[in-house]
Amino acid sequence: MRRESRQKIRETLVSFPSLFWLSLFFIVPTLFVFAIALKPANPYGGIGSGWTWDNLRSLVNPNYLAVAWRTLWISVFSAAVCLVLATPIGYYLARVTARWKGFFLMLIIVPFWTNFLIRIFAWKVLLHPEGAIKKVLALSGLIGPQTSLLYNAGAVVLVTVYTFLPFTILPIYAAAEKFDFQLLEAARDLGARRLQAFVRIFLPGIRRGLITAVLFVFIPALGSYVIPDIVGGPSGEMIGNKIAQRVFVDRNLPQASALSVVLILSVLAPLVTVLVLQRKREKPESLL
Amino acid sequence: MRRSRFPFFVTMAVLFFFYLPIIILIVNSFNASRFESGWQGFSLMWYKRLFHEPEIWRAAKNSLLIAASATAVSLVIGTTAAIALHRFARSRLQRFHFGLVYTPLVVPEILMGISLLMLFVTAGVELGLFTIFLAHVTFCISFVAMTVLARLQDFDESIVEAAQDLGAGWWATTRRVLLPMLMPGLIAGGLLAFTLSIDDFVITFFVAGPGSTTLPIRVYSMIKYGSPPLINALSTLLLVLTFTAVAASQRLSRSRR
Amino acid sequence: MSEFLEFRDVSKRFGTIQAVDSVSLGIKKGEFFSLLGPSGCGKTTMLRLAAGFEHPDAGRVILDGQDITDLPPNKRKVNTIFQSYALFPHLTVWENIAFGLRVAKRTKRDIETEVEAMLRLIRMGDQAHKKPDQLSGGQKQRVAIARALINKPQLLLLDEPLAALDLKLRQRMLIELDMIHDQVGITFLYVTHDQGEAMSLSDRIAVMDSGRIEQVGSPAEIYETPRTSFVAAFIGDTNFLEGEVTGLVESEYCQVKIADIPGLICFNDKSMKPGNPVYLSIRPEKIHISRDRPEESPLRNIVPAVVEDMIYLGSTTKYWVRTHGLRVQVLRQHFRFFLDEKPIRWNDDVWIWWHGDDGFMLDRYRAVDEHLVALPPRKVGEPEDNNEKS
Repeated sequence: MRRESRQKIRETLVSFPSLFWLSLFFIVPTLFVFAIALKPANPYGGIGSGWTWDNLRSLVNPNYLAVAWRTLWISVFSAAVCLVLATPIGYYLARVTARWKGFFLMLIIVPFWTNFLIRIFAWKVLLHPEGAIKKVLALSGLIGPQTSLLYNAGAVVLVTVYTFLPFTILPIYAAAEKFDFQLLEAARDLGARRLQAFVRIFLPGIRRGLITAVLFVFIPALGSYVIPDIVGGPSGEMIGNKIAQRVFVDRNLPQASALSVVLILSVLAPLVTVLVLQRKREKPESLL
Repeated sequence: MRRSRFPFFVTMAVLFFFYLPIIILIVNSFNASRFESGWQGFSLMWYKRLFHEPEIWRAAKNSLLIAASATAVSLVIGTTAAIALHRFARSRLQRFHFGLVYTPLVVPEILMGISLLMLFVTAGVELGLFTIFLAHVTFCISFVAMTVLARLQDFDESIVEAAQDLGAGWWATTRRVLLPMLMPGLIAGGLLAFTLSIDDFVITFFVAGPGSTTLPIRVYSMIKYGSPPLINALSTLLLVLTFTAVAASQRLSRSRR
Repeated sequence: MSEFLEFRDVSKRFGTIQAVDSVSLGIKKGEFFSLLGPSGCGKTTMLRLAAGFEHPDAGRVILDGQDITDLPPNKRKVNTIFQSYALFPHLTVWENIAFGLRVAKRTKRDIETEVEAMLRLIRMGDQAHKKPDQLSGGQKQRVAIARALINKPQLLLLDEPLAALDLKLRQRMLIELDMIHDQVGITFLYVTHDQGEAMSLSDRIAVMDSGRIEQVGSPAEIYETPRTSFVAAFIGDTNFLEGEVTGLVESEYCQVKIADIPGLICFNDKSMKPGNPVYLSIRPEKIHISRDRPEESPLRNIVPAVVEDMIYLGSTTKYWVRTHGLRVQVLRQHFRFFLDEKPIRWNDDVWIWWHGDDGFMLDRYRAVDEHLVALPPRKVGEPEDNNEKS
């Protein structure tokens, strides 16, 4: 008995610093967001007294709905592109010899040691009307001289993919590394064509890596703010921009909170779905 | 069995995609042209101009100050968190604790930024370097804890038992066995926290106040309103700095082994 | 005689698994004592209870007259050789061995002389400055031994120390362990699932199953006079024969009827009376087999049989024969390369016989232990017949 209570005290002591800090600076602030979403704004950029539904009600306006829809499709589309590119790369990395593996992994990670803003800026320069890509494309006649590569949703998708692709390659590679490639040979031996073996054996085999990879792009993309802010222009705006505008432009904190509540709920949705799906899938497996 | 060459081509194409913007940026930093329209000769003028921008250096000083202090504090809190999560893995408290440490890793930065802003505004804390420091510690804890935890889960449980078996008490076990074996994890966690703190823009932007400009905030306003060639030069300089730092730390960790 | 290490009615439960179930056991000073059993039988938990890594739910652990149940591992004069060796990867061989003395705050000179002595004992003086990952399996093993012995423990615990080594090395370390035990003269408590290791090293063995001790005794006692069907089948191989006592022969022997074979002679050390059911265990090598009928002799049981299956094993051949609906394993040693008689083949009619002393009465029989008995190789298409009685 005395032993157990001593253990409990030790556990509490060691857990206390992080529990305390994260409760104070993570849980409490999140609760504040929910609370402030139900508060009126005051004209001086602060929070008024009393409670109101107005902030949440004002979300149902065509402007916000369009932005929400755009946020969703940009995120889905970016995640899809990342997955399509990262899967063959993960497969390739898992199959090359150890020395090349290290070299390629290094090559993939190195560009991302540069600051996030600088990488976005580099794309702004590239896509600029005077930039290299525009000139090449215009000369080859693929686009008209008036077409703008910058300041649209396409540019946002491009830079989002650029930013998050490494975070999808790594989990897929990690899963592929554990995959037993003899299974592919077995499938070929049993008569499967190469693509069949890839789709029916390899992809299910790295399922967990694929799910993690999708979440690693989809969730941060939902909350994107800097990328659309720099390369998106008005036709590439996302929820994150709206939140920032409410905070920095009109100083309407309750309205910003209301938008954040929507964002929090839409981030939770895919997370919970994945958790529930995984639990369902695991139960029959563990019974075996 | 002949292997498909398709994965190889995708890998090469993506690597090209990764490096293209960075290489253009570096090249442009030596371009004498004020606009990005064609090469007008090699020049170091943008680097010279950089040294006459006191605001950049002030911002860099702020960034270093915050990164150093946030790293120190988050290293302590993150490590205790990892030890708790590892040692008492089966308890109910630790299941909650794990969720609490893990969630900040998946929540978009803007949400952490705005929620901390709401906290500070409601509590009447003046925005500035101190609030940035608090915010940075908050997100660094999770990264440090996960890095150290991975290291802890890697090593043989019986090593700790062996130390106790040979007569080492709690403190001697921690000092002579646990900490030396954790060292690579602590270094990795510390480096990660430092880079994340130096790099962070979104969260910092929300909780920064007047006079507490960090380097990323300065870079942002230069991108928005400043002259592109100057940013090219600054970016290249930062690139060189990070590369040397990473290469040095890699060499260090290799010689340790 | 008083015991050196004593478990008094010790129990330990992990969740729903009763790892150790009110076990009492005494180990004498200087003894090489083995805990032998299949994985999950509770033997490692017993060792961890002695080391102090686990605390019993009930019962006491006594070492040299002192109750150590509540002492933490670092306060016990007991040291452990771990299955994975658990050498500290960041310390050299020398520092690993010195660890115990360093945490005990011994003087520098003491540490130096004692570590050097230990390095000599394990013959690794020239490897002192290597790190564990530069050592071979056998060397790691020796460092682990030196590191544990330098604290001069009263009791050395060894947790499957040879399991990670390959066969040849295992045999060498077996001899080395035996030598070290003779040299240092302390008590060894050895945990293993390998009957060969336990048999060759131990003064005494405790066979464990499902958290309980099945039998304690010297290797010969355990092998020759197994008390339960588990011990008989786990150590070596055996035949289980179910029968009934039909009469007494003098005071020491009795007549047993097995299947419909009456009048089989059996040593009666359990004072069985006519009408009592008995289970016999007969080792395959104790049964003889030949084509010709052997001579009658007072304590010899002779039964006709048909060869069902056989495997050539080099020095021996194993036969599965059928007699009166029973399946019996017989192990035959090859004495000569050229046999005078015609070799025994499948479906041959043969005679099997054994001495009345070699059929041993079990105190306890469980049908599940039949699974531990070797079955003949199954023919293609033949259904599995686990439940068939031999």
